[in-house]
Amino acid sequence: MITLENVTKTYKNSTVALRDANVEIAKGEFVFLVGASGSGKSTFIRLLNKEETPEQGHIYVAGKDIGRLSGWKVPYLRRNIGCIFQDFKLLPTKTVFENVAFALEVIGRPRTVIDSQVPAILDLVGLGHKSDSFPTELSGGEQQRVSVARAFVNRPLILLADEPTGNLDPATSVGIMKLLDRINKTGTTVVMATHDRGIVDTMRRRVIEIDRGSIVRDQARGVYE
Amino acid sequence: MPVKFDYLLRETTSNLGRNVTITLASIMTVAVSLALVGASLMLRSGVENATQRWQGGIEFVVFLRIDANQQQIDSLRNDLEQSPEVSKVLFVDQQQAYSEFKTLFADSPEFIDSVTVNDIPPSFRVEPINKDVDAVESLGLTYEGRSGVDQVVFASKTIRLIQQLSSRLTVGIFVIAAFLLGAAGLLILNTIRMAMFARRREIEVMKLVGATNWFIRIPFMLEGLVQGLVGAFLAIGALAAFKPFFQKWLPSADEIPLVGGFQVSGGEMTYIFITLGIVGIAIGAIGAGIAVSRFLDV
Repeated sequence: MITLENVTKTYKNSTVALRDANVEIAKGEFVFLVGASGSGKSTFIRLLNKEETPEQGHIYVAGKDIGRLSGWKVPYLRRNIGCIFQDFKLLPTKTVFENVAFALEVIGRPRTVIDSQVPAILDLVGLGHKSDSFPTELSGGEQQRVSVARAFVNRPLILLADEPTGNLDPATSVGIMKLLDRINKTGTTVVMATHDRGIVDTMRRRVIEIDRGSIVRDQARGVYE
Repeated sequence: MPVKFDYLLRETTSNLGRNVTITLASIMTVAVSLALVGASLMLRSGVENATQRWQGGIEFVVFLRIDANQQQIDSLRNDLEQSPEVSKVLFVDQQQAYSEFKTLFADSPEFIDSVTVNDIPPSFRVEPINKDVDAVESLGLTYEGRSGVDQVVFASKTIRLIQQLSSRLTVGIFVIAAFLLGAAGLLILNTIRMAMFARRREIEVMKLVGATNWFIRIPFMLEGLVQGLVGAFLAIGALAAFKPFFQKWLPSADEIPLVGGFQVSGGEMTYIFITLGIVGIAIGAIGAGIAVSRFLDV
């Protein structure tokens, strides 16, 4: 599903964010990216989404070399990839329903699809009863659930999560992780960058550790350290 | 990918509503500059119509008597064409003269009705080789008093002055209008840049979930087009309302001898309005296009 071959990414200030990375992630895997702040976890995620382009090496997502993807095709790549973030990135002027519907609307899905899919996904994340609330009226955990719903409503092949529990307390984080686990069980590949030792050690999934741009550990059913 | 009409309508109107004051500023600048362009085009048409028979180097006109017979006309034509001092001769028969008259007085149908084809004399329009005033006059006068000739009329200094003044005025107004149009384009660019800034979160999310570049751009492009178009409509409305005054304000045929009325026909107004519409749309599209390509990093 995801393959990195000798991928190197250097930023303009000559920080090496990723050095000669080789990773293979199969369909349906659940992968944790761990490492200190600034180690290159976010760059890893942003490369998969083609928000960044590597200097060297090849990245294959769903069989396509995304380094060779022309600009106008990038949106179509992203329709196969859902993203969630530490800061949720919800639109404060839209309701929960509208926030999720927006993701379908802007890729041209018809109203009938939106009206059937959005309530279904909101039920899945346990927020069916809050669909008319605004994000500011929700707790952090609920907001992150909305953002998961938005990322997953289009049934992407891959879900990228950049520190999704970074702003949440441990109990709420567990809820989000259960949700991601359920999504993973539907066959969606999940790649999650995290600092949360407790989560990694409890879930015992594949762990890729990045240290100053280099992959120093790749362990099935791994722990945080 | 289908871009839905209701989505575009909603996004464009909400963009326009978000920055009402600066949107109005750009619309008004477009309107003022286009009104200037339109007014100078009207002035040019008016002067062209009024001095129609004096265009293309024509220095004098030999008006024939209405009852001049074919023989007299032919002999005069022959003389004019053979003359070594004449570079060009144009015969305007009664029918042509009448249709010219009708365009000039298109706005006074009752006047047109009171005049028939047979009231209007045929004439020769003559362009001499030597344009010197005295030479033109002595050449022209040789045809006065010929049989069939009613009178010889010379392009007066007044007419040349009017033509010169109008072309300089037109150039001057165009320069001012060009600067204003530039300002209008920059204002539109800025309005759209602000709209994009106000909507940066939406744009970020749209990119993340895979909205195509054009889907993101189109509402902003439309916003610029709407501003340009509304400005053009305001200018057109103002000019249409101003037209009767324009024609009253300019000297009429009676006040300046030898000149037809300062008239702008309906067809010419349509042409001017279409030009303004196109320029308005172009300004909006250019301003929005630059904003979208420079500041919308998709």
